[in-house]
Amino acid sequence: MKHFRWLICLLAVFALVAAACGGNDDDDSGAAAPDVAPTEAPDDEMDDDMDDEMDESMDDEMDDDMDDEMDESMDDEMDDEMDESMDDDMDDDEPEPVATEEPEVDPCEAVDLEATDIGITSDTITVLVMADVGSPLAPGLFQGSIDGVKAWADHVNSEGGLACRQVEVIEHDSAINPTETTNGFLVACEEAFALVGTTALFALDTTDLQSCPDAAGNDIGVPDFAYITTEPPHQCSVVTFATSRPNSECPYAGTGPRAVQSQVGHVQWLLENVESNLNGVYLVPSDLPSTIASTMPQLRSFQELGIVIDGEPGVSGFTTQSEYGAYIQVMRDADSNFAYTGSDDQSMIKWRSEAEAQGLDVDSIIWMCQLACYTPSFLEAGDVIENTYIWLWFLPFDEVDHNQELADFMVAIDNPFPPAWAAGSWADGVLFEQVVNGIVAEGGPNAVTRQAVLDGARSLTSFDVNGWWSPADYSTTENIMPCFMLMQVQNNDFVRVHPTAPGELDCDADNVVGLTKDWGAEFGG
Amino acid sequence: MIFGLRRSVVAATLLATLGAVVLAVLTWKGSQVTSESFLVTTYIGLFLGALWAMYATGLVVVYTTTGVFNFAQGAIGVFSAFLYWELHVNRGWHSILALFVVVCLFAPALGVTLDAVIMRRLRTASLVVQLMVTVAIMVLLLSVVGDIWEADTPRRVPYLFGINNGIDLGPSQLPWHRLIVFAVAIAIAVSMRFLLRRTRIGTAMRAVVDNRELAALNGARPNVVSSTSWALGSMMGALGGILIAPELGLDPATLNNVVIIAFAAAAFGALRNLPMAVIGAMLIGLLRAHTGAWLDFGPDFRFAHLAVAPLILLFVVVALPQARLEVGRLAHHLRRHERYTKWWEGLFGCGVVILLAVVFSGGWLDFGIWDPGAWGSRELNSANEAMALALIGLSLVPLIGWAGQINFAPLAFAGFGAFVYLKLAGDTGNGYWILLVGLLCAPLGALVALPAARLRGLYLALMTMAFAQAMSLIFFPHPWVMPIIGTGRQFPHIELFGVTFDDRRGFFLLMVCVFAIFVYGLVLLRRSRYGRRWMAINDSQAASATLGVPVVWTKVVVYAVSASMAGIAGVFWATVSGNVDSVQGFDLLIGFNIVLLVAAAGVSIPMAGIFLIFIPLFKGFGLRLEDAGNVDFLVTLLDIMTTYGPGLMVLGMVFNPRGAIFEMGRGFSPILPWRSDARAEIAAENAQKREPEIGELGLERPFNPEEVIAIDRRLGILDDVVPKEGYGTARS
Repeated sequence: MKHFRWLICLLAVFALVAAACGGNDDDDSGAAAPDVAPTEAPDDEMDDDMDDEMDESMDDEMDDDMDDEMDESMDDEMDDEMDESMDDDMDDDEPEPVATEEPEVDPCEAVDLEATDIGITSDTITVLVMADVGSPLAPGLFQGSIDGVKAWADHVNSEGGLACRQVEVIEHDSAINPTETTNGFLVACEEAFALVGTTALFALDTTDLQSCPDAAGNDIGVPDFAYITTEPPHQCSVVTFATSRPNSECPYAGTGPRAVQSQVGHVQWLLENVESNLNGVYLVPSDLPSTIASTMPQLRSFQELGIVIDGEPGVSGFTTQSEYGAYIQVMRDADSNFAYTGSDDQSMIKWRSEAEAQGLDVDSIIWMCQLACYTPSFLEAGDVIENTYIWLWFLPFDEVDHNQELADFMVAIDNPFPPAWAAGSWADGVLFEQVVNGIVAEGGPNAVTRQAVLDGARSLTSFDVNGWWSPADYSTTENIMPCFMLMQVQNNDFVRVHPTAPGELDCDADNVVGLTKDWGAEFGG
Repeated sequence: MIFGLRRSVVAATLLATLGAVVLAVLTWKGSQVTSESFLVTTYIGLFLGALWAMYATGLVVVYTTTGVFNFAQGAIGVFSAFLYWELHVNRGWHSILALFVVVCLFAPALGVTLDAVIMRRLRTASLVVQLMVTVAIMVLLLSVVGDIWEADTPRRVPYLFGINNGIDLGPSQLPWHRLIVFAVAIAIAVSMRFLLRRTRIGTAMRAVVDNRELAALNGARPNVVSSTSWALGSMMGALGGILIAPELGLDPATLNNVVIIAFAAAAFGALRNLPMAVIGAMLIGLLRAHTGAWLDFGPDFRFAHLAVAPLILLFVVVALPQARLEVGRLAHHLRRHERYTKWWEGLFGCGVVILLAVVFSGGWLDFGIWDPGAWGSRELNSANEAMALALIGLSLVPLIGWAGQINFAPLAFAGFGAFVYLKLAGDTGNGYWILLVGLLCAPLGALVALPAARLRGLYLALMTMAFAQAMSLIFFPHPWVMPIIGTGRQFPHIELFGVTFDDRRGFFLLMVCVFAIFVYGLVLLRRSRYGRRWMAINDSQAASATLGVPVVWTKVVVYAVSASMAGIAGVFWATVSGNVDSVQGFDLLIGFNIVLLVAAAGVSIPMAGIFLIFIPLFKGFGLRLEDAGNVDFLVTLLDIMTTYGPGLMVLGMVFNPRGAIFEMGRGFSPILPWRSDARAEIAAENAQKREPEIGELGLERPFNPEEVIAIDRRLGILDDVVPKEGYGTARS
């Protein structure tokens, strides 16, 4: 397999050189894409690539691609899955027909737009964004998701709309409440074409979501482009496509063994570049069965890589900082050099603060957190969180010069450091947009129905939010996003440490580990 | 007595110790216990205990000096912590200045305001009203915090005295902050003890709560004294909130829930003993720290270490001696003329309810956009949920409304009913099992009531709260109890009489029928001997006992009946949801809200329960409002009402202790020609209201005969003898 990978890499390099030397720059972009931002560009994106602005961007990326460092990185990143993607991209590199003098026909003017399904009229496509916002004790919890979808809709509308129609957004507050979540599905069923940006923690019953009738009366369900899916019924819903991948096997009975993939590239990199022998404590967020089930696979995957876990205590929002002292004691006794929290930024702040209070040598320990720590409030903790590693599966918000989708998002959201929920729901919007554009490209704007959208989403084998995020296969729930980038808090700022070049993600095949276990029973407490 | 201790205390202590040893052996994590790790864990426990001791001290001071157990103590701490963050972190004030403003200015002002506006009016109210009003204040304060400071922004409150320097304990250290907090907590407890026992104002404080009128006659100024008590209590709540916020982060729910631990600590001191309350807090802190450090409860009992406080509370209640029956105190809230609903009135009322439900939900009449008949699936889903909660709420009528016994665990009983049904009916949805569910839930109610029934009402309230908390932390999260499913419904649609109620409208009507049956059953029960006994123990347990009513047994029976009703209601509640969230679904605060709504509506007469059905109608109207468009102000109003409504409704109990619906009914009753009893009752109450307070009569001029009569009436010693002029000296 390794030889095969080398061969493909060699071919890819030849292709790059040939493309750079021969054809026009636009054609090269397709081949360059896997190296820079691992994705296959959709057809309509290729049209966008013709823009001058994008040309410049592509030129920059091409320059980057030619760097030696990138070549090495590319060598590592080539795998079978990416090879397929590469092949597709190479296909895209076929010389495009030379543009003729004929004036372009606006597809929207060529047809009489119709109300093709529930929530879609000749003028509008109505989408519903549902998020947990209005709980009396946690007001505004996922407001970012609603903001993200509204920003996406405004952006799409400003660029001419979707399927020749304007996007209208209606909101539903699921209020951290199962009944209100079901109500959201019912509203979407009756009034919206699709759900976009769903961020509801308690989607415990998806029967109404999956059995909703379309305009023809067929119980096909409502397309649900969700950001997070925490509960198995939502993860395994046949109409749900989550940009924060469930990475879990479906269907699932709710108990017993389950195949799950985990992203371990970040700790792999630590093992290879920082410390080859890691042993430490992993904090498991144990408030909900779903948080345990989603965290334990990563923990066990760490162990598969040879990391020794000295303790795996459960933490909850009710855990006081002083109670983290018990975990500090475990670290001291085991002489730990690694500390990872699967919980939120506040958990890491408490942990590190307590470590300092207890006089632990915090500089000798690698502290690591995930997306939940990529927040302004984490930085507000000051020196106490210095050197903490944080990994993401998308390009950070300050790299707007390296991805147009990210740049559009940051302009539309109008927030220098938006919440991750906003980015996630924007990604949902782009996913929905891409599926709809695919339908329009094939059958015209009147071919857009719920069934067509469901078919389109189910056949989507790679989607990467136009290069902003790691690509993912939406034809299955089991695959996780293979790419990551690693940051470290340095001088009270998030500083990229791997890959070092802005705009890049590490997509090595070894980044993913798959295990099958009864995850609920794995947690020791 | 064994070694000077009561047998119950010795037995409970031995039982608890044995249980702790067995638990430790079974769940030992296997970690190596070194002197250093033991020392660190111990000081962490003592520090946590010190934080909770501050809350507990405030609770004890307020209870000892006003007789009111303040459920809002934690919420005062939450509000103060947020205000401190606003001043110190957000606005850059110096920490000492911000602390002074919050603890020494804001908190006492809040306490005095609460006393002057609300609490002073509650001193003759029943325990139910007193507790409900403090719970309402808690809900309102938390709502205000949520509105002012958006919760989606994580906030940190810095440690007051720094955390990185302290006393060296070998490899680890004891930060100054924690040492100072510990010292402050002890100092506050000692000074409060000194204040209450050794100073004139402290004596006056205790005297006022014992007998307000008598204290006033001896020169004490009850209003000033109670305001001082509330100011002190609020200050301690504020200080506790500010000191614990760095430990937990500024999250309203998390911070507020800490107060439950303080309840357990206060109960350890029998609610009046400050040193014991502090010891209780320390004990809980030590247990929690050591449990977390050395024991491993596994995934099935992952919240068990958080249940230390409720379990201690349960232990304390079991160990407490039997309360003496209260005699010799005036029961001001008993001035009422009860009238039993006639059987045909109940039948007629229930018939009307069913008819209305059929007409409304069946769409027989056209009400335009307000027509529930035009409800879609969403509105019906909300209505079904509200209807199920109303059914749970109805289970509180005999318990709170009649017997005057508090139960903060209706959701725990409902959840138990759902669990029993799940095990009995499985995935068949066979509705006939529901009757058996009712029978099996009754013993649970009796079991919960048995240890607490011999105690005063407040302990019952705390006991049920601890029970609800323990159930939500230990029982319901267990995967065997509420198994997680991958797809479909955990609770299938109910099948009854060959009909599967998988249609939301049909299920709504089924629940309305069950509701009507419950209400009519209550009407008949209230007219029975048991119903009258329950009313009697609510009026006076001493008198009831004198008349031969078995007080403890009567309490146990009413708990069993209530648990049975709640269990049946729980089946409907779970079926509406389809899948129950085993962790958040049984949260104590949801149970609080149910109790609040029921109490605010007026839970003492079963016919008032009928009006609970307006909850789903109201909710349905709200949803229609949203759809109607162009009514933004109404939607905003609805939002405000949703957020603040329940709290405000309950605060209304300050003025109408028997509930809004009850008062509405009483206002309407005198219009009916045959209700001369209602007219007489209102006339008597109006006459009572005109009487002045004793404290307001003054002491510097001679009382006139009318004033003397007023005093005698207040003291309950009015006779036919007309006092002579100059009988006393009143202030001119």
